[in-house]
Amino acid sequence: MSEPSMGEPSRPPARSRRRPEEHDHRPLRIAHLYPSLLNVAGDGGNLIAIARRAGWRGIPVEVTAVEKGETPDFRKFDVVLFHGGQDVEMAVAAEDFAKKAPSLREAVDDGVLVFAVCAGLQLLGHRYISNAGEEMLGAGILDLETRGGQQRFMQHAACEVTIDGATETVVGFENHSGLTELGPGAEAFGRVVAGAGNNGRDGLEGARAGNVFATYLHGPVLPKNPWLTDRLIEIAVSRAEGAPFTLAPLDDEIECHAHQVALAKAMANRGRRTALEPARLVRGLKR
Amino acid sequence: MSSQTKRRPTGADTSLTFRTFLALSVGKAAARATQLAGRGGGTSITGMVARRVDPHILRKIVLDRGEPVVAITGSNGKTTTARFTAALLRGEGVIVSHNSAGANLVQGVTSLAVSYASIRGRLPGGVLVVEVDEGALPQVAPEMAPRALLVTDLFRDQLDRFGEIYAVADAIESVAAALPPDAALVVNADDPMVATMASGREGTRVTFGLELDRSTDQITRAADTIRCPRCRADLTYRHVYLSHMGDYKCAACGFERPAVDVAVTSLEVVGLDRTRCEIRTPSGNLAIEIPQPGVHIAYDAAAAIAILVGLGVPLEHAAESLASVGPAFGRLEKIDADGRSIVLAFAKNPTSYNTTLRALAAEGEPRQLLIAASNTLVDGEDFGWLWDVDFELMAPKVERAVVSGLRADELANRLKYAGLSPRKMIVVEDRCDALEAALDGLPAERRLVVLSGYTPLIELRNEMRRRGWTGRYWEV
Repeated sequence: MSEPSMGEPSRPPARSRRRPEEHDHRPLRIAHLYPSLLNVAGDGGNLIAIARRAGWRGIPVEVTAVEKGETPDFRKFDVVLFHGGQDVEMAVAAEDFAKKAPSLREAVDDGVLVFAVCAGLQLLGHRYISNAGEEMLGAGILDLETRGGQQRFMQHAACEVTIDGATETVVGFENHSGLTELGPGAEAFGRVVAGAGNNGRDGLEGARAGNVFATYLHGPVLPKNPWLTDRLIEIAVSRAEGAPFTLAPLDDEIECHAHQVALAKAMANRGRRTALEPARLVRGLKR
Repeated sequence: MSSQTKRRPTGADTSLTFRTFLALSVGKAAARATQLAGRGGGTSITGMVARRVDPHILRKIVLDRGEPVVAITGSNGKTTTARFTAALLRGEGVIVSHNSAGANLVQGVTSLAVSYASIRGRLPGGVLVVEVDEGALPQVAPEMAPRALLVTDLFRDQLDRFGEIYAVADAIESVAAALPPDAALVVNADDPMVATMASGREGTRVTFGLELDRSTDQITRAADTIRCPRCRADLTYRHVYLSHMGDYKCAACGFERPAVDVAVTSLEVVGLDRTRCEIRTPSGNLAIEIPQPGVHIAYDAAAAIAILVGLGVPLEHAAESLASVGPAFGRLEKIDADGRSIVLAFAKNPTSYNTTLRALAAEGEPRQLLIAASNTLVDGEDFGWLWDVDFELMAPKVERAVVSGLRADELANRLKYAGLSPRKMIVVEDRCDALEAALDGLPAERRLVVLSGYTPLIELRNEMRRRGWTGRYWEV
């Protein structure tokens, strides 16, 4: 066999067999923005990763789908997930998001954790200006702006992310043509190790301001970056419970293997844009 | 592609250039060489080599000689629909050349033409039925000038290859819109983005779909286009038949499913074995029984029948023709492995996975599983879509899973998060070793379900052929 077996992985602790030192947690309340609009490339896996990893530590989750036309008070949530979508769906979401933005801004001021990917990142910024010059307004929660680009970045990517003084590599798959520039009010989510990052130029990946994290990385990113997932859960639980909270470690052998494979792929592509053939064919026809 | 026909009647002076002759000889030799070497059917290598010698080879043996072509494109169902179409045409006495192995990029389509053509570049006459990858269609179509073009459906499939589903739709639409008026465009009425394709075009247009008084599915997170293609408002469904396919209407602008010319009016799926349906056509009703299970089989059968309607071929023997079309390789294909039972299921995107998982779930499967995914040019690079597959529904049933392929890492992680305990999984990247491991631990009363993407499935199937359990994949 070319691949060693996975060893003896531990069964994730069931909710009922909680360790004595663990105390009762109230459910982590997660708002999942536009699950039926922004659902490409498996980003829903981010929700699965948070829910499972919280659950394995005895922290239940309550997930609320927040669709078009719904304007909940986002302060009642602990986590808001805002994922990527295709251009058409993003335009539909953008129009609706203007109505959600004021409440989301209040929640962000309260420290609610927001995790955004791709279109979510773009709509948390000030605006998105398409190649045709059309302007889509964002929430202005992150100090960034995005313009349509001529090429599509589609490749495995990796960056270094620092949270609370600890730095780790985060891997994923980028698939975007928008070019994002950060303003002085936002720091980068990560520093590019391999891939294009926000714009293929400044070496920055995503954006962060307080408890708002935004990235271009699909993959989905959280399942193969358990370190990042756990930090996000800790931030959300600490805020919800008003006291610093640290998660017990799990056996992450499978996750770490997926992380290593993705990292190797990203590093193999470093410095090379991988425009794949059929995409060029499709675009070629539209000339 | 211009709208005027460039066809010349068959038999006109189409003097063969030396280059074309060489391309045919070399391409055919390459096919024989790969087959002799036991490396597959030469399903892509023939075309690759022939095009290297003469880049216009496909155009010369197909377009320039006016050979009638049926082109089948879309996300799902291409291979099965092409098999149904070939069977229906043969049943009506038409000679058919057909790419049965599913090699559907430009090289694969060229292979088909080269291998069926004589050394002088002549096809056996009759109709060439080709399945064409939706990304390759813009390149392939102008070299063949199809007499009929079928668009099966459009699902999110390999986003990393195509960027966005809308780009794929635009590309197919421009090919469809450029079809000459004497060609037939056949579209799936139940798929909103496909139903509206090239609706302003002059010429024959045939729609197919389901007209059942119940839903056979519900909208899942794998659904792609559930917004109105005209005004982008949400569509409402009277019935959902398969993922986003169904009887839909837009409350905002009034857009609704067009009239269905070839309609499945009753449908019964019997276990993992067969599908019974009644199909209404413009020339009467057909009662059909096909030895393959699933709602998608009914769609594929209706699509194939719609092609014959579009071509104006009468449907005298449709029921007999379809009664003998078993699964294409890996479409819930049953294999006897020295007394042990294997079911091979090809799954390449959330929809085909979910459709397959649902068919298996009806039989309490999968319990013993070999599951594989590999990143290749055909299978794509980004496997994020695995997280859109409803593995959660499958996980509680699985007793043991061997996880294989170049992306076994992502699959294993996905299955863990779907609730499958890592204790029940072993990762064996090599496909042959994985098959060995899966069969080693297979309890006597269980069957092994193999769920796999295209490339690992061919590898696994070749291994089964080496062991004498099955024929060659390109001959199924």
